[in-house]
Amino acid sequence: MDQIAQITDEERDILQEIMNIAFGKAAADLAEVVNIFVVLSVPDIRIVDAADLPDYIRTEFSGFGNISIVEQNFWGEFRGNALLIFPSDSGKELISLLGDGHPVSFESQASDFLENETLMEVGNILIGACVGKVAELLKDMVTYSPPRVIIEDHPSVSMPDTLFDPENSAIILKTVFCFNERNVNGFLFLITSHNSVAWLKKALADFMEQYE
Amino acid sequence: MINVILIVDDSPISRKMLKSCIPKDGGYVFYEAGDGQAGLEMYMKKQPDVTFMDLTMPVMDGVKALEEIIKYDKHAMVIVVTADVQAQSIARVMEIGAFLVVKKPPTKENIQEALAKAQEKLG
Repeated sequence: MDQIAQITDEERDILQEIMNIAFGKAAADLAEVVNIFVVLSVPDIRIVDAADLPDYIRTEFSGFGNISIVEQNFWGEFRGNALLIFPSDSGKELISLLGDGHPVSFESQASDFLENETLMEVGNILIGACVGKVAELLKDMVTYSPPRVIIEDHPSVSMPDTLFDPENSAIILKTVFCFNERNVNGFLFLITSHNSVAWLKKALADFMEQYE
Repeated sequence: MINVILIVDDSPISRKMLKSCIPKDGGYVFYEAGDGQAGLEMYMKKQPDVTFMDLTMPVMDGVKALEEIIKYDKHAMVIVVTADVQAQSIARVMEIGAFLVVKKPPTKENIQEALAKAQEKLG
C-alpha cells in the first residue's frame, strides 16, 4: 500500500501516455489482420484497493448484462492480468469481422465455439500488442499465459481470486474502444499488483530520462 | 522561417516529451493547448508557423481540430503526432491536409527531421 501511495501524479501521467501509445499499436496490429477501424479513447489510470476491484468492475459494467471476458496473464518485471471485456453479443459481430464480413448463422454449439475462438484471437492480438508495447517502452520482456474466455452474467465472479487479495492494490489501466463499422465497444484493463510498483517507478524514470 | 510553435495534446507529459525533442537553441516561441478546441482558438490567436497536433483528445479531437485549422488557413503547417498509427487514420489526416504524421513516442530524431522538412517547405 505504501508503495502504491508513492506513485506520483506525474508517474500516473507517464503511464497513461505509455498506455495510449501501446493501445494505438494494438489497434494498428488488429487493423492489419482485419479490415477494421478502431476508434480510440483517452486511457484512464486508476489505483484502487484490490478488495474494491469487484465493486469497481460491477459498476463499470452495470448496464451491460452478460459480458465476455478474455483473460490473459503476463509475467515480466511488469506483471499482472489483462482483461479484454465485451458485451456478450459482441462475439457474433466479431466473427463476421474476422470472416468475410457477412452475418453468420450456426448451430448453437458451433457458434459458441467459434465465438470463443474469435474472442481469443482478438484478445490475443490486442492484449499481446498492448502489453508488449508497454514492456518494450519500459525495457522489459514479458511472457503470457494462453488466453481464456469467460462468458459471465456477473463480472466479478470469474475473476481470479488473487486479483482481489485484500492485502494488494491494483493499478488499473483502462481503455475504451469502438470498432467503428460494427458499433462494438470493448474495454481493455491491465491490472498489475503492488509488487510491480518499485520496478515500475524506476522504469518510468528511466523512460523519461531521454526527455530531460 | 519557423519562429512560433504550437503544441496541442491533452497530456501535459506528452507536451513536455515533445518539447524536449526540439532544440533549445532554436529561439522558438512555444504555445500549448490541452484539447482540439483550445488548439484551434490558440491557432487563430497566435498564428503559429508549425503546429504539432495529437489526435485522441477530449472536447474536440485532433482530426476535427485539423479540419477546422485547414478550413481557417489552408496553408497551415500541421504535424500530427499520434499513437493512432492505423493506416486509415494516417490516410485520413493526410487527406485533410496534415503536413506529416509522426508516431508516438516522439524522438529527437523524428521531431527534428519533421521540423527540418517543415522549414524546407516554408523556405
